[in-house]
Amino acid sequence: MSFRYYGSRKSGSISWLLQRITGIFLIFAMVGHYILMHYSPETGHSYEQSVARFSNAYWKMFYLTFITLGLWHGLNGVWSILRDFKMKPWLAITLYGIIVVSGIAFWVLGVSTALHF
Amino acid sequence: MKVAKTGEGYFKLVASYKKETGGWAWIIHRISGLALTAYIYVHIYALSTLTKGKEAFDAEMALFQKPLFKVLEWLLFAFVLAHTLNGIRIVLVDFGKGSFYHKKAFAYLMIIGIIAFLVMGYFIFSHEIHQAFAGLL
Repeated sequence: MSFRYYGSRKSGSISWLLQRITGIFLIFAMVGHYILMHYSPETGHSYEQSVARFSNAYWKMFYLTFITLGLWHGLNGVWSILRDFKMKPWLAITLYGIIVVSGIAFWVLGVSTALHF
Repeated sequence: MKVAKTGEGYFKLVASYKKETGGWAWIIHRISGLALTAYIYVHIYALSTLTKGKEAFDAEMALFQKPLFKVLEWLLFAFVLAHTLNGIRIVLVDFGKGSFYHKKAFAYLMIIGIIAFLVMGYFIFSHEIHQAFAGLL
């Protein structure tokens, strides 16, 4: 049991549950995202349409949720993969640190883009 | 609890397992998940150009219309499909009675995925496909 090896007593059951719940949200969000982005080149890829979406409060709320849950789902997934390895404590702490710091940095970048308009 | 060292590498160990449907689904899910996590970083970074004004954003979007990026986008869709469809199977196994039919579910979901992948390929390359067949008609 690798998680005992680096001294954590957490089983990870809450992460497991949240990984499923965010995953179910992302299935629906991703289908909508793909239809919107590829319905026509205009809807997805023009500056005016993108700014118009980010200026709308409901779209803004949707994108903030999407960025937050998407990043969390991805990084929690990476961490759950890493936990399968028998990591030494220093390596586990370093990799966890990289995940948290880079995750927060890109979350701030994404949120500041969404809130800019 | 002291964990005994096996002396075997992780990848050698995984490769030595007898893999059936679930094993392959597990591997596909991990690889696509890592790729998608890397992509979401790139995606957030690329879209931050929006704050730099219309010209910078339009120049970037023009770059993404190039054939190389179209192919990459198509491959990205393959990862998205594999991860999304297998994710449905995982939710069914964990929250429903999926363990009774997960092999069939995987087969059907992957067939749906391949069809969706080809349909998306038609949409992405429709201009090129029409040009290629224009000479024949």
